[in-house]
Amino acid sequence: MLELLGLRHCFGELVALDDVSLTVEDGEIVGLVGRNGAGKTTAMRAVMGILHPDGGSLCWDGNPIGDAERIRFGYMPEERGLYPQMRLASQLTYFARLHGLDAQTAERAANDWLVHLGLGGRTEEKLVALSHGNQQRMQLAVALVHDPELLVLDEPFAGLDPEAVDALSETMHEQAVEGKAILFSSHQLELVERICHRIVILDAGCVLAAGTLPQLRERFPAQLRVKVDGRAGWASKLRGASVLRQDEEGVLLMVDPGTDPQTILAAAQRVGAVEHFGYESGGLIDLYRQLLTR
Amino acid sequence: MTGLAATRLIAIREITERIGSRVLRITTVVMAVLVVAGVVIPSVVHGSAAPTRIGLVGAPAQELAPALRTTATLAKLTVRVTDVASAGLAREEVRRGSLDVAVSLTRQGATAVVAQSLSPTAQALLAAIIDAVHQRGVLSQAGVAPATIRSAQARVPLRTEAIAPPPSHTAARYTAAVVAGILLYVILAMYGNAVATGVAQEKTTRTAEVLIAAVRPRQLLAGKVIGIGLCGLAQLAVVVVAGLIANGLVHSAQIPSTMWLLLPSILLWFALGYALYAFAFAAAGALVARQEELQFVTAPLTMPLLAGYLLVYAAIASPHSIWIAIASFLPPLAPALMPARIALGGVPWWEIPLDALIMLVSIYMMVRVATRIYIGALVRGGARLSWRAALRLDAPQRSSP
Repeated sequence: MLELLGLRHCFGELVALDDVSLTVEDGEIVGLVGRNGAGKTTAMRAVMGILHPDGGSLCWDGNPIGDAERIRFGYMPEERGLYPQMRLASQLTYFARLHGLDAQTAERAANDWLVHLGLGGRTEEKLVALSHGNQQRMQLAVALVHDPELLVLDEPFAGLDPEAVDALSETMHEQAVEGKAILFSSHQLELVERICHRIVILDAGCVLAAGTLPQLRERFPAQLRVKVDGRAGWASKLRGASVLRQDEEGVLLMVDPGTDPQTILAAAQRVGAVEHFGYESGGLIDLYRQLLTR
Repeated sequence: MTGLAATRLIAIREITERIGSRVLRITTVVMAVLVVAGVVIPSVVHGSAAPTRIGLVGAPAQELAPALRTTATLAKLTVRVTDVASAGLAREEVRRGSLDVAVSLTRQGATAVVAQSLSPTAQALLAAIIDAVHQRGVLSQAGVAPATIRSAQARVPLRTEAIAPPPSHTAARYTAAVVAGILLYVILAMYGNAVATGVAQEKTTRTAEVLIAAVRPRQLLAGKVIGIGLCGLAQLAVVVVAGLIANGLVHSAQIPSTMWLLLPSILLWFALGYALYAFAFAAAGALVARQEELQFVTAPLTMPLLAGYLLVYAAIASPHSIWIAIASFLPPLAPALMPARIALGGVPWWEIPLDALIMLVSIYMMVRVATRIYIGALVRGGARLSWRAALRLDAPQRSSP
């Protein structure tokens, strides 16, 4: 299990991480979302030891993360990086060996992963000869080749076509099923919603919210959609609820905590025949927008 | 995995990347040709003096042949003596250029037929022998015993004692100094830049991030510098061995004795100079944001390297200058200048270990400073860092248990 506890880091005056705590259990996929500059990459780089945080602690299975732990992590940085002129098989073998695999195991693992990721026929080609999508696959292979216990993937879906997105999600699922802990970041919220077990929303270096999607929903006022066959504008004078949107599908209300929805139903019935009355479960996108505008 | 194993892996990758590359093959051949030429050309130029061809006309003159050969050897003059049947034939051969001089003897005197003129040495040689033969004839006719005549004509040994002897093989020494200077300048600049380029490539392609996630920056730096350095050392060794073989093949009398000391010292000063410059070049490579900026950041390193090479010419002009001696102890200048001074000769033996020691101390300091800059700048985003800003960087310490 990965634990970040009270992580702090500053770049000069800029506070990049402010008391960030989060955990990733074995077999769990945790999505890190937030605006650009929210601190996602900084947090991941701290886990990988690329930068040393000013404060807080990083633990793996209860032990402080050091070289011995980190060598069992797999990392895919936001800005992709591999040797352009090196051949795929030898490059992948090289990275596997840097992660402590012996020569034979490294070579076998490299070939297996290249085949698994659809690059089996191109093992002797140079990286630079591959398309963007295939270079991404190769980057993923580098993160996976040494069979890591934790995967840290920074924007792994950026620039992928839908097919590649599906393939990558599939691979992430397989890894989670095998018990790997996965921490990844993305701006593609619908993807995060689909893939993740838990979500951590970062903003300005702070954890704004964390939990499963239902857990996050509970933290927000319920959204009620009401469609009434009657005059418009009836909802603007309601107590304990405010209008979020009004369109041909009726009115979307944000119900304040403590307000009895029955009073809203009664108010609607006084206006006319109620055609629709029900809660809307906001997706991650709605929740995210609400969080950031609050 | 131990740090040493990681460093080894990284070094091996650097070596395999370079081995078999066309650049390596071409530069090796060019440098080997340069060195072999530097060794061979002076001896060829020096040893190319053609023998003086002397034709002896008639029996009396032909009796001069043994004495002529012996005396010519003593005078360090190469001669080729042939017998010619008649004076007319001899004139014809001189005219054609197949003889330099035709000598004939008569009772009245001797005649030397030449095309235009005869070298003073050859002229003196001929005159001395003819005189000696004449004296022997006169003394013999006067009834002097042959033993007495021989004794009278025996050479009196003359020992020349020079107060300020000129250095021997001056041309060969100059050539060797220049070749050593060029070789070290070229190879240090080449491999220094290879380190800077390698580091900059890893930084700008963000490969460094993936690497740093697995190994410590220190190991990455050490592996890179060692791997590239071994390639340089191997290449230089090939070139030096080519030089040694050439040295063995050409007439060894023409090779200055310093040459045997020079070739190993080229290897030593390459190793020392490379260690000093490679770490500085690595730090330079870590400063850039784009590969094209390398030239700017490496310029302050290439300058002293070039200065050391240019001072080789000053050393040739005034080999005993105290300023040149002092300059050859300055670590940035030493790698090109010291081997050149060794080639020129006259370097006291103790200067060599002292210079090496100064180099080692400066290498130690350079490794410390450059490693700090490298670690601080390698995974830093944003624009190119200036050297000044880089020196102020705090190297992030990796957390370790």
